[in-house]
Amino acid sequence: MRRVLLVVGLLMFFAGVAFAQLPGNVPRNETLIVDQLTGRVGTPSNFNLWAGWRWQDRGLQQLVCEPLWTVDYATGEIICGAASELPQYNEDFTKMTVKLRQGVYWSDGVPFTADDVVYTIDLHVKTPGLLYHGPMAEFVDKVYKTDDYTVVVELKKPNSRFHTHFLDRWGCLRIMPKHIFEKVEDPVTFEFNPPIGCGPYKLLDYDPAGFWTLWERREDWQRTPTGMLYGEPKPKYVLFQAFETEEAKILAMLRHELDMAQFAPEGLRVVLERGETTRAWRKEWPWVVNIDPCITGIVFNNMVEPYNNKDVRWALTLAIDMVDYMATAFDLMAPPSPIHLPPVPAYIEAFFNPMEEWLKNFELDLGNGEKFKPFDPEIPQRIAIAAKERGYPVPEDPKVLRELFGIGWWKYAPDVAEKLLKKHGFTKGADGKWYLPNGNLWKISIVTDTNPAHHHYRNAMAAAEQWRRFGIDATVNATEAFNSLHLMGEFEVGTMWPAAEPWGAGVDLSRTLEPWRSSLVAPIGQAVTLGPGGAARWSDPRLDEVIAKLEATDPFADVETTRLLGIEALKIVVAEMPTIPTYGYCGAVAWDEYYWENYPGAENPYTQPYQHWPNFKYMLPFLKPKK
Amino acid sequence: MRFVRDYLVPRLIQYVLVVFCGVTAVFFIPRFAGQDPVLEMIGQIQAQGASLDPQAVRSLMETLRELYGLKGSLLEQYLTMWRRVFTLDFGPSFFQFPTPVAQLLRIYLPWTVGLFVTSTLLSWILGNIIGGIAGYFSGKAWSKVLDAVIMVIRPIPHYIFGVVLLILFAYLWPLFPAGGLALGRRVVINWNLIVAILRGSFLPALSLVILGGVVWFQQMKLLVQNVKREDFVEYARVGGVKERRIVFRYVLKNAMLPQITQLTLALGQVFSGVLIVEMVFSYPGIGLLLYRGVTRGDYNLVMGITVLSIFTIATSVLLLDLLYPLLDPRIRHR
Repeated sequence: MRRVLLVVGLLMFFAGVAFAQLPGNVPRNETLIVDQLTGRVGTPSNFNLWAGWRWQDRGLQQLVCEPLWTVDYATGEIICGAASELPQYNEDFTKMTVKLRQGVYWSDGVPFTADDVVYTIDLHVKTPGLLYHGPMAEFVDKVYKTDDYTVVVELKKPNSRFHTHFLDRWGCLRIMPKHIFEKVEDPVTFEFNPPIGCGPYKLLDYDPAGFWTLWERREDWQRTPTGMLYGEPKPKYVLFQAFETEEAKILAMLRHELDMAQFAPEGLRVVLERGETTRAWRKEWPWVVNIDPCITGIVFNNMVEPYNNKDVRWALTLAIDMVDYMATAFDLMAPPSPIHLPPVPAYIEAFFNPMEEWLKNFELDLGNGEKFKPFDPEIPQRIAIAAKERGYPVPEDPKVLRELFGIGWWKYAPDVAEKLLKKHGFTKGADGKWYLPNGNLWKISIVTDTNPAHHHYRNAMAAAEQWRRFGIDATVNATEAFNSLHLMGEFEVGTMWPAAEPWGAGVDLSRTLEPWRSSLVAPIGQAVTLGPGGAARWSDPRLDEVIAKLEATDPFADVETTRLLGIEALKIVVAEMPTIPTYGYCGAVAWDEYYWENYPGAENPYTQPYQHWPNFKYMLPFLKPKK
Repeated sequence: MRFVRDYLVPRLIQYVLVVFCGVTAVFFIPRFAGQDPVLEMIGQIQAQGASLDPQAVRSLMETLRELYGLKGSLLEQYLTMWRRVFTLDFGPSFFQFPTPVAQLLRIYLPWTVGLFVTSTLLSWILGNIIGGIAGYFSGKAWSKVLDAVIMVIRPIPHYIFGVVLLILFAYLWPLFPAGGLALGRRVVINWNLIVAILRGSFLPALSLVILGGVVWFQQMKLLVQNVKREDFVEYARVGGVKERRIVFRYVLKNAMLPQITQLTLALGQVFSGVLIVEMVFSYPGIGLLLYRGVTRGDYNLVMGITVLSIFTIATSVLLLDLLYPLLDPRIRHR
């Protein structure tokens, strides 16, 4: 009996002593606990994000750094943070003027001024070991201040997009505290610990093994751009925690030990079903964030036969039944996109809607004077029917369906695909399999990521299934060398991003188009510099012309020209189909409303919804404590 | 002198050969695996949507190749590697650049050693004692029941078993944490922290002790069942030696020899860690570190951990070979 009592006592002691005890003994009800997307920090003591990959989503880019500008894809805005207004260029784009926000202080009490901006740019021009040394050394001729809050950058050659190096979209050149770095001998090896920033939080503690980082709200949060723009961030503490497995993350959220996290769709479902206070971005099915500024899909190596042939690429597109594809890839929850852009709100208005008529009338030449219109506007309705068959509560309103499933995709037309292939000598054997023009069996090995939860993997599985059904011997090769193979061109078909992520706001598509600039296409065996989109190793002289015109256009002063050039470029890419865009990236985000509420859900998207984006700091003033 | 010529020298030569071949294999295998650590790093940065222009990426590639020590021919890199092996300086980790591999080992190894050695010894002791007794009394009902229970537990994969423990003791009956918030911290003399570390380590240790213990149990039980049928045991029993003495001095002692060998080899596995357990319980160990190194093409990190692993296992086998004559008179006699 005594032993039993001892065991019970010990268990009660364990349960009592450290129940939900947080690092630093910070109170749970004043702490927001969020999942760290990129996992355990590999360089826990090093916060110098100017010199390399530092797992900046541990709170560094979200809570400490305040860039000049930040993109918000949910609202379509560019938020002026450390800058007080958008940049101004001179006529030939050789001079950029930046006005800074006044009254901002670094977290150690030193005022933020033009000296910091000038120092940052200067240091990057001079220091090869810093990440942004390349563009700064290439473009910056002179940088100086005209007063304490105005900086002028004179460029060696025209660049109408020079400001984008300072526009935060999960990474940019953030401004350094001059008073810290000027005392440092080597800015590359300097650990920048503790980090000093103009964001509303400061470092409180971190785990030397990299599992968590704890931040505390600055007492002078009013002297930060976040405080000035949106008010007091509500959580006094923010804890970033890395989980090694989905199960641990699920349990933590169900125990109210995790407030914000991104799951695999299956994990999201468990959390929503089992949790009494959990919610997703959308309160009803399909739950997931479908406004992510990133497009997923299939990439062809355009330097390898037969994928260097436009008709083959189109045949493979038309061999896909998008409804089936979506059922396999993401349980019908994601929005298909027929163009090489994600359907974020700003782009639906600027590109998707205006291109709809063109898409409907777009024709493929099947040879012998035969034409085919491949666009299928009925896809959203067909997805809705399939989802209903699976028992999901699908909205009836066509407007909502369009919001959920986009404007359409490409027709499932295996007969047309067959014509396109036969035009080039492909044959279909009696065994129902396709043979290459040289008589060999057509085999496709789709190179993809090893993470089954990733959209790359999901796209690969769905594409292989579709093409097998069409008669091609398609398999999936999930490999750890995924990035290396794509960048070096040592693949035929893969599922890296089919196009570079656009800015997500405004109408400037230069970021998406840049990787297809002919001067950046590298031969197989030599790495391309821009993997997303660029791994396709495709270019087109017509696109080069559009990119050149875009370069000569001010994206702020000449919005309409910028937008129309974007549409012109998208039409070229669609017609050539160097990569197949399938559906917009979806984040299976879950929030626990046990301690905090008023997250930016679909019903009130006041800002982007992820905790790992730099804009996270702008979300915190809107959260409301519940306990 | 005959001992040195016929026993010691061949084993020393074997030891040197094993280390040489092992280290050489570890150098070449990752380099032929198709992964380029520089491109993996670039891929990782770009996959998150970070904005880098082509010029920046090009200069970054050059810089990383320089910093990672990947410039020069394969032979030059190979010779550099041997210099690093002898100085125990494996250079910086690539994906955790600029952190030196040696520093990472200093941070993570104690956690793995603490968990792995403790749980291995505990499972070994418990498994052998209980297995030995159950083997000796294998005809008893309780021994059969225990055997059946262990037959059920043994095939359960570590991952499933860990998740079940988490669901039971971290969710349904939340006595222990689901993640390792207290683990990995700077260890200071602080009662709350020590309790938190013990709580955080309890479930991973429990899973290792149980799943490791059942293996030791079954091995020992079979060994004992064989030994107890040997003539000398029967002779002792007939000679009136007390049961307790027969169990511990005659049967268990003889059955222990292969178990000691197994234990030494098992402890040598410490460097490869207990990956699955570390993953399930978010435990800051060397197994996860090695896994990350392999998946990211981090040659230096993989090199650092596996070289130590090769040395440890080869040295333990050598020591075991040298100590065995002391433990087993039959070898001494030969």
